[in-house]
Amino acid sequence: MIQYLAYLSIMTGIYGILSLSLNLQYGFTGLANFGHVAFFCLGAYTSTILVVLVKGPFILGLLGGMVAAGLFGFLISIPTANLKEDYWAIATLAAAEIVRLFFLNEDWIFGRGPYHGGAFGIGGIPRPLQSWFSATTYPFFYLCIVILCLVLTYFTVRFLTNSPFGRVLKAMREGDDLPLAMGKDVSKFRMKAMAFGGAMGGLAGSLVAHFWSFIDPYQFMPIETFVVWAMVVVGGKGNNIGALVGAVIIQFFYSSTLFLKDFIPIDAQVLASLRMVVIGVLIVLIMLFMKEGLIKEKKRIYQG
Amino acid sequence: MPVFQVIINSIIRASELSLIAIGLTLVYDLLKFANFAHTEYAVVGVYLALVFNVNLGLNIFTSVLLSAIFTGLIALSIDRMVFRRMRDSGRVILMVTSFGLGLAMRNTIRAIWGPTPRSYTIALQKPISFLGIRITPVQIWIIATAVIFMVAFHLLLHKTKLGKAMRASSDNPALAQASGIATEGVILWVWFIATSFAAVGGILIALETYLLPHMGFAIIIPVFCATILGGIGNPYGAMLGALALGFAENFGLYLNFGNIINLGGLFDFVKEMHIPTGYRDAISFGILIAILLTKPSGILGRKS
Repeated sequence: MIQYLAYLSIMTGIYGILSLSLNLQYGFTGLANFGHVAFFCLGAYTSTILVVLVKGPFILGLLGGMVAAGLFGFLISIPTANLKEDYWAIATLAAAEIVRLFFLNEDWIFGRGPYHGGAFGIGGIPRPLQSWFSATTYPFFYLCIVILCLVLTYFTVRFLTNSPFGRVLKAMREGDDLPLAMGKDVSKFRMKAMAFGGAMGGLAGSLVAHFWSFIDPYQFMPIETFVVWAMVVVGGKGNNIGALVGAVIIQFFYSSTLFLKDFIPIDAQVLASLRMVVIGVLIVLIMLFMKEGLIKEKKRIYQG
Repeated sequence: MPVFQVIINSIIRASELSLIAIGLTLVYDLLKFANFAHTEYAVVGVYLALVFNVNLGLNIFTSVLLSAIFTGLIALSIDRMVFRRMRDSGRVILMVTSFGLGLAMRNTIRAIWGPTPRSYTIALQKPISFLGIRITPVQIWIIATAVIFMVAFHLLLHKTKLGKAMRASSDNPALAQASGIATEGVILWVWFIATSFAAVGGILIALETYLLPHMGFAIIIPVFCATILGGIGNPYGAMLGALALGFAENFGLYLNFGNIINLGGLFDFVKEMHIPTGYRDAISFGILIAILLTKPSGILGRKS
């Protein structure tokens, strides 16, 4: 049970990073990024390439994953930076699928071999310092790494959103007119929000790759994006604590329902579908009755 | 494969996509949001037709009609429960709501009918061959159905009072309301028409292939691409966009791009160069990005 708790905490931490980074893009900047899983996927694959193929250390994988995902965020925002939010959503959704298609089809990356690369995925991704720990203590060590990354991400996002940079982002959320009138180049700010958020998503991706030590393109389906969206929306958009609370709630719900089949005779497939129905309905209900989410954004009111 | 066959395949694909794209563009234009649940209504129609056709033993034509009507009614009840309460909400809020809804719909279908492919009871298809083309009777029916529905839609839009009201409400809702057009009533009709057309389009796809719970999500990018390509709010544009996309998807895989690189035989840089079939979905994404970059209002779109 304690093993399972460690696993659950690690996954919550990783999704917490994703949730924080989407919150930076959607909650603070108002960018409807429907392709967040692309960063997760790129981070995981880049890190795997750097560690498995280039034989680099774990930290190189982490940094490489962040750079690749951040760069991707920057690149996709170049053509889309001036688009309306609905076009943005469609373009990012499509971009994420292209990233996945790339890793699904280009099976030469990891060298051709039976049941290896492409749709078969990549196994044997080394876990950092695994030989120092036993199989039972290792998850706790990894949990420490994840918590460290989560805390760093949290303070980075907090620093960014409280800085003048963050105030421009929040102003952009209400429309481009005000920041434009202040002489701010809104498309540049959008690119930066995508690049920073992307890099954090990439960090989560490399963490998950080294934890599972196996990745395949089917772990990065668009559904992951929507799970992260549920976290941000439920927890409260524009509030970093809210994003984390959302991650805890959704991840707990997601994982705890796995045990449900031990108590009620229900088919695992049906259960998996019902779980997503609940998440979907939850998003609709929040949007209908509680637009701000559980924890409301702290808005500074200026009197003048 | 003879070029005529590729043309026929393109037209079949366009027939399927256009009926779904018409509905998306209508709702998009009138309610001003990108409905990410739109293709899920198509899947609802597909599985309702399965109930009528397989469980109740009705013939396929009756099943299609009944399923279109019931899908429209389901859309009306969802509008009453969800979207009607949110008429004044912003685009992003509505978009997020619609994807939450889509997630719930897709997984409800998956929970009920399971992830395995199913098919309707129709006679075994014997392909007819002429001019080196092979086409099955069902494929002829697909094209015919799409044409019938498009003509019916054209007549509805231009020969009926409802059509006039629909055009007026989409041009200028405030003016339409001031002129005594019941905008709420028009919205209900548009939901009904849009989703029942989507249901028929979905059934056409299912007739040619098979029924899958995630078939709606699989076509979300092509359908959005056709809609944006044609210009949002223009149903004729959606038809044209679907046609263009059908041709692009099929010819994109058919053409030997080596000829272009060799400048039509002047040089011999590469022998053969085809887009790998795994990237079929990437074609619609590429077109989407190109159109968003050059002319976001689409081919037949109004200037905004």
